[in-house]
Amino acid sequence: MLLVALVAAVATLPLWPFANNYIVALAVRTLLFIALGQAWNVIAGIGGMLSLGHGLFFGLGAYATGLLFNSFGLTPWLGLFPAMAIAAAAGLLVGLVTGHLRGIYFALATVVMSLAFEKLARYFVDLTGGDTGLSVTFRGDAPWAMQWRGPTAFLFLSLAVVVIYYLATRAILRSRFGLELQAVRDDEGAAAASGVNTFRTKLLGLMLSAAMTALVGTLYMQFYLNIDPSTAFGLFQAIQIQLPALIGGLGTAGGPVIGGALMILVSEAANIASGKLNLQGVDVLIYGLVLLLVVMRAPLGIIGEWHRWTSRRAGGAR
Amino acid sequence: MAPLDVAARRGRTMTAAASPVLELSGVGRRFGGLQALSDVSFAVTQGEVVGLVGPNGAGKSTMFEVISGNIAPSSGSIRFFGKDITKLPAFARRRAGMARTFQKVRLFNSLTVEQNIAVAAMQCLPEPGRWQDEVQSVLTRMRLTAQARRRPPEITLADRKKVEIGRAIAGGCTLLMLDESLSGLTRDEADELVEEILGINRGRGLTIIVVEHVMPVVVAMAARLIVLKTGTLIADGPPAEVARDPVVIEAYLGSRPHGLA
Repeated sequence: MLLVALVAAVATLPLWPFANNYIVALAVRTLLFIALGQAWNVIAGIGGMLSLGHGLFFGLGAYATGLLFNSFGLTPWLGLFPAMAIAAAAGLLVGLVTGHLRGIYFALATVVMSLAFEKLARYFVDLTGGDTGLSVTFRGDAPWAMQWRGPTAFLFLSLAVVVIYYLATRAILRSRFGLELQAVRDDEGAAAASGVNTFRTKLLGLMLSAAMTALVGTLYMQFYLNIDPSTAFGLFQAIQIQLPALIGGLGTAGGPVIGGALMILVSEAANIASGKLNLQGVDVLIYGLVLLLVVMRAPLGIIGEWHRWTSRRAGGAR
Repeated sequence: MAPLDVAARRGRTMTAAASPVLELSGVGRRFGGLQALSDVSFAVTQGEVVGLVGPNGAGKSTMFEVISGNIAPSSGSIRFFGKDITKLPAFARRRAGMARTFQKVRLFNSLTVEQNIAVAAMQCLPEPGRWQDEVQSVLTRMRLTAQARRRPPEITLADRKKVEIGRAIAGGCTLLMLDESLSGLTRDEADELVEEILGINRGRGLTIIVVEHVMPVVVAMAARLIVLKTGTLIADGPPAEVARDPVVIEAYLGSRPHGLA
Protein backbone atom coordinates (compact mmCIF):
# COMPACT_ATOMS: atom_id res chain seq x y z
CA MET A 1 0.00 0.00 0.00
CA LEU A 2 2.71 2.39 1.09
CA LEU A 3 4.63 1.50 -2.02
CA VAL A 4 1.68 2.25 -4.30
CA ALA A 5 1.09 5.60 -2.55
CA LEU A 6 4.75 6.55 -2.89
CA VAL A 7 4.85 5.61 -6.55
CA ALA A 8 1.66 7.61 -7.18
CA ALA A 9 3.09 10.61 -5.33
CA VAL A 10 6.32 10.59 -7.33
CA ALA A 11 4.59 9.91 -10.64
CA THR A 12 2.23 12.87 -10.21
CA LEU A 13 5.02 15.16 -8.97
CA PRO A 14 5.06 17.35 -12.13
CA LEU A 15 1.37 18.20 -11.49
CA TRP A 16 1.94 19.44 -7.97
CA PRO A 17 1.59 23.21 -7.40
CA PHE A 18 5.14 23.82 -6.20
CA ALA A 19 6.69 21.61 -8.87
CA ASN A 20 9.26 23.03 -11.23
CA ASN A 21 12.04 21.61 -13.33
CA TYR A 22 14.48 21.84 -10.44
CA ILE A 23 12.27 19.75 -8.15
CA VAL A 24 11.58 17.16 -10.85
CA ALA A 25 15.27 16.96 -11.72
CA LEU A 26 16.05 16.53 -8.04
CA ALA A 27 13.56 13.66 -7.92
CA VAL A 28 15.28 12.07 -10.92
CA ARG A 29 18.65 12.44 -9.19
CA THR A 30 17.17 10.80 -6.09
CA LEU A 31 15.68 7.93 -8.07
CA LEU A 32 18.95 7.27 -9.91
CA PHE A 33 20.76 7.34 -6.57
CA ILE A 34 18.24 4.85 -5.17
CA ALA A 35 18.50 2.59 -8.22
CA LEU A 36 22.29 2.48 -7.90
CA GLY A 37 21.87 1.54 -4.25
CA GLN A 38 19.38 -1.17 -5.19
CA ALA A 39 21.79 -2.64 -7.75
CA TRP A 40 24.70 -2.63 -5.29
CA ASN A 41 22.45 -4.11 -2.59
CA VAL A 42 21.97 -7.30 -4.61
CA ILE A 43 25.56 -8.44 -4.24
CA ALA A 44 26.62 -6.46 -1.16
CA GLY A 45 23.45 -6.65 0.90
CA ILE A 46 22.01 -10.01 -0.08
CA GLY A 47 25.32 -11.65 -1.00
CA GLY A 48 27.50 -10.00 1.63
CA MET A 49 30.26 -9.03 -0.80
CA LEU A 50 31.00 -5.42 0.07
CA SER A 51 32.11 -4.18 -3.33
CA LEU A 52 33.79 -0.80 -3.48
CA GLY A 53 34.16 -1.10 -7.22
CA HIS A 54 30.62 -0.63 -8.49
CA GLY A 55 31.62 2.65 -10.06
CA LEU A 56 33.27 0.40 -12.63
CA PHE A 57 29.94 -1.06 -13.74
CA PHE A 58 28.17 2.29 -13.54
CA GLY A 59 30.87 3.91 -15.68
CA LEU A 60 30.95 1.08 -18.19
CA GLY A 61 27.18 1.42 -18.60
CA ALA A 62 27.38 5.16 -19.13
CA TYR A 63 30.41 5.15 -21.44
CA ALA A 64 29.18 2.15 -23.46
CA THR A 65 25.77 3.70 -24.20
CA GLY A 66 27.33 7.07 -24.99
CA LEU A 67 29.99 5.65 -27.31
CA LEU A 68 27.52 3.39 -29.09
CA PHE A 69 25.24 6.36 -29.67
CA ASN A 70 27.93 8.80 -30.76
CA SER A 71 29.88 6.40 -32.98
CA PHE A 72 27.20 4.13 -34.38
CA GLY A 73 24.01 6.07 -33.77
CA LEU A 74 22.70 3.16 -31.73
CA THR A 75 19.70 4.31 -29.71
CA PRO A 76 20.21 3.96 -25.94
CA TRP A 77 16.99 1.93 -25.84
CA LEU A 78 19.02 -0.81 -27.55
CA GLY A 79 22.42 0.38 -26.35
CA LEU A 80 21.45 -0.43 -22.79
CA PHE A 81 21.60 -4.15 -23.61
CA PRO A 82 25.23 -4.28 -24.76
CA ALA A 83 26.02 -1.89 -21.89
CA MET A 84 24.52 -4.32 -19.39
CA ALA A 85 26.23 -7.25 -21.09
CA ILE A 86 29.62 -5.52 -20.97
CA ALA A 87 29.13 -4.74 -17.28
CA ALA A 88 28.07 -8.32 -16.57
CA ALA A 89 31.18 -9.57 -18.36
CA ALA A 90 33.27 -7.15 -16.29
CA GLY A 91 31.49 -8.48 -13.20
CA LEU A 92 32.42 -11.99 -14.23
CA LEU A 93 36.07 -10.99 -14.64
CA VAL A 94 36.10 -9.13 -11.32
CA GLY A 95 34.51 -12.17 -9.68
CA LEU A 96 36.97 -14.60 -11.23
CA VAL A 97 39.90 -12.52 -10.01
CA THR A 98 38.58 -11.50 -6.58
CA GLY A 99 35.77 -13.96 -5.82
CA HIS A 100 37.89 -15.96 -3.40
CA LEU A 101 38.68 -12.85 -1.36
CA ARG A 102 36.56 -11.90 1.62
CA GLY A 103 35.50 -8.76 3.43
CA ILE A 104 37.98 -5.92 3.32
CA TYR A 105 40.26 -7.72 0.83
CA PHE A 106 37.45 -8.03 -1.67
CA ALA A 107 36.54 -4.37 -1.11
CA LEU A 108 40.13 -3.25 -1.71
CA ALA A 109 40.57 -5.41 -4.80
CA THR A 110 37.37 -4.07 -6.35
CA VAL A 111 38.12 -0.42 -5.64
CA VAL A 112 41.57 -0.82 -7.22
CA MET A 113 39.93 -2.13 -10.40
CA SER A 114 37.53 0.77 -10.52
CA LEU A 115 40.33 3.30 -10.00
CA ALA A 116 42.35 1.61 -12.73
CA PHE A 117 39.48 2.31 -15.11
CA GLU A 118 39.48 5.93 -14.01
CA LYS A 119 43.10 6.14 -15.17
CA LEU A 120 42.30 4.31 -18.42
CA ALA A 121 39.41 6.67 -19.15
CA ARG A 122 41.74 9.64 -18.70
CA TYR A 123 44.44 8.07 -20.85
CA PHE A 124 42.42 7.09 -23.94
CA VAL A 125 41.38 10.65 -24.71
CA ASP A 126 40.29 9.95 -28.30
CA LEU A 127 37.80 7.33 -27.21
CA THR A 128 36.57 8.67 -23.88
CA GLY A 129 37.13 12.40 -24.05
CA GLY A 130 39.71 12.16 -21.26
CA ASP A 131 39.38 14.44 -18.23
CA THR A 132 36.48 16.47 -19.63
CA GLY A 133 34.53 13.30 -20.15
CA LEU A 134 32.28 11.98 -22.84
CA SER A 135 29.27 13.94 -24.03
CA VAL A 136 26.43 12.50 -26.03
CA THR A 137 25.16 14.53 -28.94
CA PHE A 138 22.00 16.33 -27.85
CA ARG A 139 19.06 15.89 -30.20
CA GLY A 140 16.45 17.91 -28.33
CA ASP A 141 13.14 16.22 -27.69
CA ALA A 142 14.00 12.88 -29.22
CA PRO A 143 12.31 9.94 -27.52
CA TRP A 144 14.06 7.49 -29.89
CA ALA A 145 17.38 8.77 -28.51
CA MET A 146 16.12 8.66 -24.89
CA GLN A 147 16.52 12.45 -24.77
CA TRP A 148 14.13 15.20 -23.71
CA ARG A 149 14.48 18.89 -22.97
CA GLY A 150 12.64 18.60 -19.65
CA PRO A 151 13.20 16.12 -16.84
CA THR A 152 9.63 14.75 -16.66
CA ALA A 153 10.15 11.76 -18.97
CA PHE A 154 13.21 10.79 -16.96
CA LEU A 155 11.11 10.94 -13.82
CA PHE A 156 8.85 8.19 -15.17
CA LEU A 157 11.77 6.23 -16.58
CA SER A 158 13.83 6.24 -13.39
CA LEU A 159 10.73 5.64 -11.27
CA ALA A 160 9.98 2.56 -13.38
CA VAL A 161 13.53 1.29 -12.84
CA VAL A 162 13.31 1.83 -9.06
CA VAL A 163 9.96 0.00 -8.90
CA ILE A 164 11.27 -2.87 -11.04
CA TYR A 165 14.44 -3.13 -8.94
CA TYR A 166 12.37 -3.09 -5.75
CA LEU A 167 10.14 -5.91 -6.98
CA ALA A 168 13.17 -7.77 -8.35
CA THR A 169 14.92 -7.54 -4.97
CA ARG A 170 11.86 -8.93 -3.24
CA ALA A 171 11.68 -11.76 -5.76
CA ILE A 172 15.39 -12.50 -5.38
CA LEU A 173 15.11 -12.61 -1.58
CA ARG A 174 12.43 -15.30 -1.84
CA SER A 175 13.98 -17.23 -4.72
CA ARG A 176 16.29 -20.19 -4.62
CA PHE A 177 19.14 -18.01 -5.88
CA GLY A 178 18.44 -15.45 -3.16
CA LEU A 179 18.47 -18.09 -0.43
CA GLU A 180 21.80 -19.33 -1.74
CA LEU A 181 23.23 -15.81 -1.80
CA GLN A 182 22.07 -15.21 1.77
CA ALA A 183 23.47 -18.57 2.88
CA VAL A 184 26.84 -17.63 1.36
CA ARG A 185 26.67 -14.26 3.12
CA ASP A 186 25.83 -15.78 6.51
CA ASP A 187 28.40 -18.60 6.41
CA GLU A 188 30.23 -19.54 3.25
CA GLY A 189 31.67 -22.75 4.70
CA ALA A 190 28.29 -23.95 5.91
CA ALA A 191 26.77 -23.03 2.54
CA ALA A 192 29.31 -25.20 0.73
CA ALA A 193 28.67 -27.97 3.26
CA SER A 194 24.97 -27.67 2.34
CA GLY A 195 25.73 -28.22 -1.33
CA VAL A 196 25.73 -24.61 -2.49
CA ASN A 197 28.24 -23.90 -5.24
CA THR A 198 29.42 -20.80 -3.45
CA PHE A 199 31.80 -19.50 -6.11
CA ARG A 200 29.20 -19.78 -8.86
CA THR A 201 26.58 -18.14 -6.65
CA LYS A 202 28.88 -15.19 -5.96
CA LEU A 203 29.78 -14.83 -9.64
CA LEU A 204 26.13 -14.82 -10.72
CA GLY A 205 25.24 -12.31 -8.00
CA LEU A 206 28.06 -10.04 -9.04
CA MET A 207 27.09 -10.24 -12.73
CA LEU A 208 23.45 -9.49 -12.00
CA SER A 209 24.37 -6.57 -9.75
CA ALA A 210 26.83 -5.25 -12.37
CA ALA A 211 24.22 -5.36 -15.14
CA MET A 212 21.66 -3.59 -12.94
CA THR A 213 24.26 -0.92 -12.14
CA ALA A 214 25.08 -0.43 -15.82
CA LEU A 215 21.44 0.25 -16.66
CA VAL A 216 21.49 3.13 -14.19
CA GLY A 217 24.67 4.31 -15.94
CA THR A 218 22.74 4.42 -19.20
CA LEU A 219 19.99 6.53 -17.67
CA TYR A 220 22.56 8.80 -16.04
CA MET A 221 24.29 9.34 -19.38
CA GLN A 222 21.04 10.25 -21.14
CA PHE A 223 19.89 12.52 -18.33
CA TYR A 224 23.11 14.47 -17.76
CA LEU A 225 24.42 13.99 -21.33
CA ASN A 226 27.96 13.79 -19.99
CA ILE A 227 30.11 11.46 -17.94
CA ASP A 228 33.66 12.03 -16.76
CA PRO A 229 36.21 9.58 -15.36
CA SER A 230 35.91 10.57 -11.72
CA THR A 231 32.09 10.66 -11.72
CA ALA A 232 32.09 7.19 -13.24
CA PHE A 233 34.99 5.33 -11.69
CA GLY A 234 36.19 7.60 -8.87
CA LEU A 235 36.40 6.94 -5.17
CA PHE A 236 33.53 9.30 -4.36
CA GLN A 237 31.18 7.33 -6.62
CA ALA A 238 32.39 4.05 -5.08
CA ILE A 239 31.35 5.30 -1.66
CA GLN A 240 28.14 7.05 -2.77
CA ILE A 241 26.77 3.83 -4.27
CA GLN A 242 26.92 2.14 -0.88
CA LEU A 243 25.03 4.78 1.07
CA PRO A 244 21.37 4.07 0.20
CA ALA A 245 21.55 0.43 1.25
CA LEU A 246 23.85 1.03 4.23
CA ILE A 247 21.64 3.80 5.60
CA GLY A 248 18.30 2.24 4.74
CA GLY A 249 19.03 -1.39 5.56
CA LEU A 250 21.47 -3.75 3.93
CA GLY A 251 19.97 -6.75 2.18
CA THR A 252 16.38 -5.52 2.36
CA ALA A 253 14.17 -4.55 -0.58
CA GLY A 254 13.04 -1.25 0.95
CA GLY A 255 16.37 -0.24 2.48
CA PRO A 256 17.99 1.45 -0.54
CA VAL A 257 14.74 3.29 -1.30
CA ILE A 258 14.43 4.79 2.16
CA GLY A 259 18.17 5.37 2.55
CA GLY A 260 18.57 6.97 -0.87
CA ALA A 261 15.63 9.32 -0.39
CA LEU A 262 16.78 10.29 3.08
CA MET A 263 20.36 11.05 2.03
CA ILE A 264 19.27 13.30 -0.84
CA LEU A 265 16.85 15.11 1.48
CA VAL A 266 19.62 15.62 4.01
CA SER A 267 22.03 16.77 1.34
CA GLU A 268 19.50 19.24 -0.10
CA ALA A 269 18.52 20.58 3.33
CA ALA A 270 22.18 20.97 4.23
CA ASN A 271 22.79 22.70 0.93
CA ILE A 272 19.98 25.19 1.53
CA ALA A 273 21.12 25.72 5.12
CA SER A 274 24.68 26.45 4.06
CA GLY A 275 23.37 28.94 1.50
CA LYS A 276 21.22 30.70 4.11
CA LEU A 277 24.05 30.75 6.63
CA ASN A 278 26.47 31.73 3.92
CA LEU A 279 28.90 29.14 5.18
CA GLN A 280 30.54 27.25 2.36
CA GLY A 281 31.21 23.58 2.96
CA VAL A 282 28.75 23.33 5.84
CA ASP A 283 26.50 21.12 3.69
CA VAL A 284 29.21 18.48 3.29
CA LEU A 285 29.83 18.62 7.03
CA ILE A 286 26.15 18.10 7.87
CA TYR A 287 25.86 15.32 5.33
CA GLY A 288 28.91 13.62 6.82
CA LEU A 289 27.63 14.02 10.37
CA VAL A 290 24.25 12.47 9.54
CA LEU A 291 26.05 9.60 7.83
CA LEU A 292 28.30 9.09 10.83
CA LEU A 293 25.35 9.23 13.20
CA VAL A 294 23.40 6.57 11.32
CA VAL A 295 26.41 4.28 10.98
CA MET A 296 27.21 4.58 14.69
CA ARG A 297 23.71 4.59 16.17
CA ALA A 298 21.89 2.38 13.68
CA PRO A 299 24.41 -0.06 12.21
CA LEU A 300 21.63 -2.27 10.83
CA GLY A 301 20.20 0.61 8.82
CA ILE A 302 16.75 2.10 9.24
CA ILE A 303 14.82 -1.03 8.27
CA GLY A 304 17.14 -3.33 10.21
CA GLU A 305 16.82 -1.24 13.38
CA TRP A 306 13.06 -1.06 12.93
CA HIS A 307 12.86 -4.87 12.76
CA ARG A 308 15.07 -5.21 15.82
CA TRP A 309 12.94 -2.73 17.71
CA THR A 310 9.61 -4.34 16.79
CA SER A 311 10.85 -7.87 17.47
CA ARG A 312 12.20 -6.78 20.85
CA ARG A 313 8.80 -5.29 21.68
CA ALA A 314 7.09 -8.49 20.53
CA GLY A 315 9.55 -10.47 22.64
CA GLY A 316 8.78 -8.35 25.72
CA ALA A 317 5.04 -8.83 25.27
CA ARG A 318 5.29 -12.60 25.26
CA MET B 1 22.96 -43.05 30.44
CA ALA B 2 22.93 -46.47 32.09
CA PRO B 3 25.43 -48.96 30.68
CA LEU B 4 22.77 -51.69 30.50
CA ASP B 5 20.84 -50.28 27.57
CA VAL B 6 23.98 -49.39 25.67
CA ALA B 7 23.99 -52.43 23.43
CA ALA B 8 20.33 -52.01 22.56
CA ARG B 9 20.83 -48.39 21.54
CA ARG B 10 23.82 -48.93 19.34
CA GLY B 11 23.46 -48.50 15.65
CA ARG B 12 23.56 -51.30 13.17
CA THR B 13 26.63 -53.47 12.97
CA MET B 14 28.69 -53.98 9.87
CA THR B 15 27.39 -56.43 7.33
CA ALA B 16 30.22 -58.20 5.57
CA ALA B 17 28.56 -58.32 2.15
CA ALA B 18 27.73 -54.60 1.89
CA SER B 19 29.88 -52.48 -0.39
CA PRO B 20 31.80 -49.65 1.24
CA VAL B 21 30.13 -46.25 1.35
CA LEU B 22 33.39 -44.53 2.16
CA GLU B 23 36.87 -45.79 1.54
CA LEU B 24 40.07 -44.03 2.54
CA SER B 25 43.35 -45.41 1.29
CA GLY B 26 46.68 -44.10 2.49
CA VAL B 27 45.30 -40.65 3.26
CA GLY B 28 47.88 -38.21 4.59
CA ARG B 29 47.90 -34.49 5.20
CA ARG B 30 50.86 -32.31 6.00
CA PHE B 31 50.68 -28.72 7.25
CA GLY B 32 54.18 -27.35 6.80
CA GLY B 33 56.28 -29.39 9.20
CA LEU B 34 53.32 -31.05 10.89
CA GLN B 35 52.09 -34.41 9.64
CA ALA B 36 48.45 -34.10 10.75
CA LEU B 37 47.43 -37.37 9.15
CA SER B 38 49.65 -40.14 7.90
CA ASP B 39 48.68 -43.11 5.78
CA VAL B 40 45.16 -43.57 7.16
CA SER B 41 43.11 -46.31 5.54
CA PHE B 42 39.68 -47.60 6.46
CA ALA B 43 36.35 -48.36 4.87
CA VAL B 44 32.84 -47.76 6.17
CA THR B 45 29.92 -49.85 4.94
CA GLN B 46 26.32 -48.80 4.55
CA GLY B 47 24.31 -48.40 7.74
CA GLU B 48 27.34 -48.45 10.01
CA VAL B 49 27.69 -46.03 12.91
CA VAL B 50 31.40 -45.43 13.37
CA GLY B 51 32.96 -43.44 16.19
CA LEU B 52 36.11 -41.51 15.40
CA VAL B 53 38.01 -41.04 18.65
CA GLY B 54 41.43 -40.09 19.90
CA PRO B 55 43.13 -37.67 22.24
CA ASN B 56 43.34 -33.95 21.43
CA GLY B 57 45.45 -33.26 18.39
CA ALA B 58 44.99 -36.81 17.10
CA GLY B 59 43.81 -35.55 13.72
CA LYS B 60 40.06 -36.13 14.09
CA SER B 61 39.13 -32.67 12.87
CA THR B 62 41.61 -32.77 10.00
CA MET B 63 40.16 -36.14 9.03
CA PHE B 64 36.67 -34.63 9.00
CA GLU B 65 37.79 -31.71 6.84
CA VAL B 66 39.61 -34.02 4.42
CA ILE B 67 36.61 -36.35 4.05
CA SER B 68 34.15 -33.48 3.59
CA GLY B 69 36.39 -31.75 1.05
CA ASN B 70 37.45 -28.58 2.83
CA ILE B 71 41.07 -29.68 3.06
CA ALA B 72 42.74 -31.59 0.25
CA PRO B 73 44.79 -34.59 1.32
CA SER B 74 48.53 -34.40 0.56
CA SER B 75 48.51 -38.08 -0.35
CA GLY B 76 46.14 -41.00 -0.73
CA SER B 77 42.63 -41.19 -2.12
CA ILE B 78 39.03 -41.13 -0.95
CA ARG B 79 36.25 -43.10 -2.60
CA PHE B 80 32.53 -42.59 -2.06
CA PHE B 81 30.35 -45.47 -3.25
CA GLY B 82 33.33 -46.67 -5.27
CA LYS B 83 33.82 -43.34 -7.03
CA ASP B 84 37.06 -41.41 -6.53
CA ILE B 85 36.10 -38.08 -4.94
CA THR B 86 39.58 -37.00 -3.82
CA LYS B 87 39.44 -33.90 -6.03
CA LEU B 88 35.70 -33.16 -5.71
CA PRO B 89 34.88 -29.81 -4.02
CA ALA B 90 32.91 -29.77 -0.76
CA PHE B 91 29.61 -28.66 -2.30
CA ALA B 92 29.68 -31.45 -4.88
CA ARG B 93 30.35 -34.03 -2.15
CA ARG B 94 27.30 -32.74 -0.30
CA ARG B 95 25.19 -33.05 -3.43
CA ALA B 96 26.49 -36.60 -3.86
CA GLY B 97 25.07 -37.39 -0.42
CA MET B 98 27.87 -36.71 2.04
CA ALA B 99 26.82 -34.28 4.77
CA ARG B 100 28.35 -32.94 7.95
CA THR B 101 27.76 -30.83 11.00
CA PHE B 102 30.27 -28.49 12.61
CA GLN B 103 31.92 -28.59 16.01
CA LYS B 104 30.46 -25.19 16.76
CA VAL B 105 26.98 -24.98 15.21
CA ARG B 106 27.06 -23.04 11.95
CA LEU B 107 23.63 -22.02 10.68
CA PHE B 108 22.46 -19.25 8.37
CA ASN B 109 21.42 -16.80 11.06
CA SER B 110 19.38 -14.45 8.92
CA LEU B 111 17.30 -17.28 7.44
CA THR B 112 14.49 -19.10 9.19
CA VAL B 113 14.85 -22.70 10.38
CA GLU B 114 12.76 -23.77 7.41
CA GLN B 115 14.95 -21.84 4.96
CA ASN B 116 18.13 -23.23 6.54
CA ILE B 117 16.95 -26.72 5.72
CA ALA B 118 15.60 -25.64 2.32
CA VAL B 119 19.02 -24.35 1.22
CA ALA B 120 20.40 -27.88 1.49
CA ALA B 121 17.28 -29.67 0.24
CA MET B 122 17.10 -27.64 -2.99
CA GLN B 123 20.68 -28.50 -3.91
CA CYS B 124 19.91 -32.22 -3.98
CA LEU B 125 16.29 -32.11 -5.18
CA PRO B 126 16.05 -29.29 -7.73
CA GLU B 127 12.31 -29.65 -8.48
CA PRO B 128 10.47 -27.18 -6.18
CA GLY B 129 7.71 -29.61 -5.22
CA ARG B 130 10.15 -32.27 -4.13
CA TRP B 131 12.43 -30.12 -2.00
CA GLN B 132 9.49 -28.40 -0.36
CA ASP B 133 8.09 -31.80 0.67
CA GLU B 134 11.53 -32.81 1.87
CA VAL B 135 11.83 -29.70 4.06
CA GLN B 136 8.47 -30.47 5.71
CA SER B 137 9.41 -34.11 6.27
CA VAL B 138 12.76 -33.14 7.83
CA LEU B 139 11.04 -30.56 10.07
CA THR B 140 8.62 -33.23 11.26
CA ARG B 141 11.30 -35.84 11.78
CA MET B 142 13.51 -33.47 13.78
CA ARG B 143 10.44 -32.16 15.69
CA LEU B 144 11.13 -28.62 14.58
CA THR B 145 7.76 -27.77 13.03
CA ALA B 146 6.97 -25.27 15.80
CA GLN B 147 10.30 -23.52 15.19
CA ALA B 148 10.02 -23.47 11.39
CA ARG B 149 9.54 -19.70 11.09
CA ARG B 150 12.05 -18.70 13.76
CA ARG B 151 15.64 -17.73 13.14
CA PRO B 152 18.57 -19.57 14.74
CA PRO B 153 19.42 -16.85 17.30
CA GLU B 154 15.84 -17.14 18.62
CA ILE B 155 15.94 -20.87 19.47
CA THR B 156 17.78 -23.02 22.02
CA LEU B 157 21.18 -24.61 21.44
CA ALA B 158 19.59 -28.07 21.39
CA ASP B 159 17.20 -26.94 18.67
CA ARG B 160 20.01 -25.29 16.72
CA LYS B 161 21.87 -28.59 16.76
CA LYS B 162 18.74 -30.30 15.51
CA VAL B 163 18.43 -27.78 12.69
CA GLU B 164 22.04 -28.41 11.71
CA ILE B 165 21.45 -32.16 11.63
CA GLY B 166 18.19 -31.60 9.75
CA ARG B 167 20.00 -29.45 7.20
CA ALA B 168 22.60 -32.19 6.88
CA ILE B 169 20.17 -35.04 6.25
CA ALA B 170 17.90 -33.03 3.92
CA GLY B 171 17.80 -34.10 0.31
CA GLY B 172 18.88 -37.70 0.45
CA CYS B 173 22.06 -37.70 2.47
CA THR B 174 23.69 -41.15 2.65
CA LEU B 175 26.71 -40.46 4.86
CA LEU B 176 26.31 -38.20 7.87
CA MET B 177 29.36 -36.93 9.69
CA LEU B 178 28.66 -35.48 13.13
CA ASP B 179 31.34 -33.31 14.68
CA GLU B 180 30.66 -33.21 18.43
CA SER B 181 26.97 -32.66 17.90
CA LEU B 182 26.21 -33.39 21.54
CA SER B 183 28.66 -31.09 23.25
CA GLY B 184 27.09 -28.33 25.29
CA LEU B 185 23.80 -30.18 25.69
CA THR B 186 22.28 -31.38 28.94
CA ARG B 187 22.15 -35.13 29.44
CA ASP B 188 18.42 -35.24 28.59
CA GLU B 189 18.90 -33.18 25.45
CA ALA B 190 21.85 -35.35 24.41
CA ASP B 191 19.87 -38.55 25.01
CA GLU B 192 17.01 -37.22 22.90
CA LEU B 193 19.32 -36.22 20.08
CA VAL B 194 21.07 -39.62 20.14
CA GLU B 195 17.64 -41.21 19.78
CA GLU B 196 16.85 -38.98 16.79
CA ILE B 197 20.16 -39.75 15.13
CA LEU B 198 19.89 -43.50 15.65
CA GLY B 199 16.29 -43.32 14.43
CA ILE B 200 17.52 -41.81 11.16
CA ASN B 201 20.22 -44.46 11.00
CA ARG B 202 17.65 -47.25 11.33
CA GLY B 203 14.94 -45.58 9.26
CA ARG B 204 16.98 -44.40 6.29
CA GLY B 205 19.87 -46.85 6.56
CA LEU B 206 22.05 -43.80 6.94
CA THR B 207 25.77 -44.33 7.48
CA ILE B 208 27.12 -42.19 10.31
CA ILE B 209 30.60 -41.16 11.42
CA VAL B 210 30.69 -39.52 14.84
CA VAL B 211 33.44 -37.46 16.40
CA GLU B 212 32.72 -37.04 20.07
CA HIS B 213 34.84 -36.28 23.09
CA VAL B 214 32.43 -37.76 25.60
CA MET B 215 33.32 -41.43 25.40
CA PRO B 216 30.10 -42.93 26.81
CA VAL B 217 28.17 -41.08 24.12
CA VAL B 218 30.30 -42.55 21.34
CA VAL B 219 30.00 -46.01 22.80
CA ALA B 220 26.25 -45.60 23.10
CA MET B 221 25.97 -44.80 19.43
CA ALA B 222 28.77 -46.52 17.59
CA ALA B 223 29.18 -50.21 16.96
CA ARG B 224 32.72 -49.61 15.77
CA LEU B 225 35.48 -47.31 16.88
CA ILE B 226 38.36 -45.92 14.88
CA VAL B 227 41.10 -44.58 17.10
CA LEU B 228 43.55 -41.96 15.89
CA LYS B 229 46.71 -40.85 17.61
CA THR B 230 49.03 -38.15 16.24
CA GLY B 231 47.56 -38.62 12.81
CA THR B 232 47.89 -42.38 12.67
CA LEU B 233 45.16 -44.99 12.88
CA ILE B 234 46.04 -47.12 15.89
CA ALA B 235 42.91 -49.23 16.35
CA ASP B 236 39.73 -50.14 14.48
CA GLY B 237 37.05 -52.47 15.79
CA PRO B 238 34.11 -52.97 18.17
CA PRO B 239 34.29 -50.76 21.28
CA ALA B 240 34.91 -53.61 23.72
CA GLU B 241 37.78 -54.93 21.64
CA VAL B 242 39.28 -51.49 21.12
CA ALA B 243 39.13 -50.82 24.87
CA ARG B 244 41.27 -53.87 25.56
CA ASP B 245 43.85 -52.91 22.96
CA PRO B 246 47.11 -52.08 24.78
CA VAL B 247 48.03 -49.48 22.14
CA VAL B 248 44.78 -47.61 22.78
CA ILE B 249 45.24 -47.81 26.56
CA GLU B 250 48.76 -46.44 26.10
CA ALA B 251 47.43 -43.60 23.91
CA TYR B 252 45.05 -42.53 26.66
CA LEU B 253 47.95 -41.96 29.13
CA GLY B 254 48.20 -45.50 30.31
CA SER B 255 44.73 -45.63 31.79
CA ARG B 256 41.68 -47.44 30.53
CA PRO B 257 39.77 -44.93 28.39
CA HIS B 258 37.12 -43.52 30.64
CA GLY B 259 33.69 -44.90 29.92
CA LEU B 260 34.76 -47.59 27.51
CA ALA B 261 33.05 -50.81 28.49
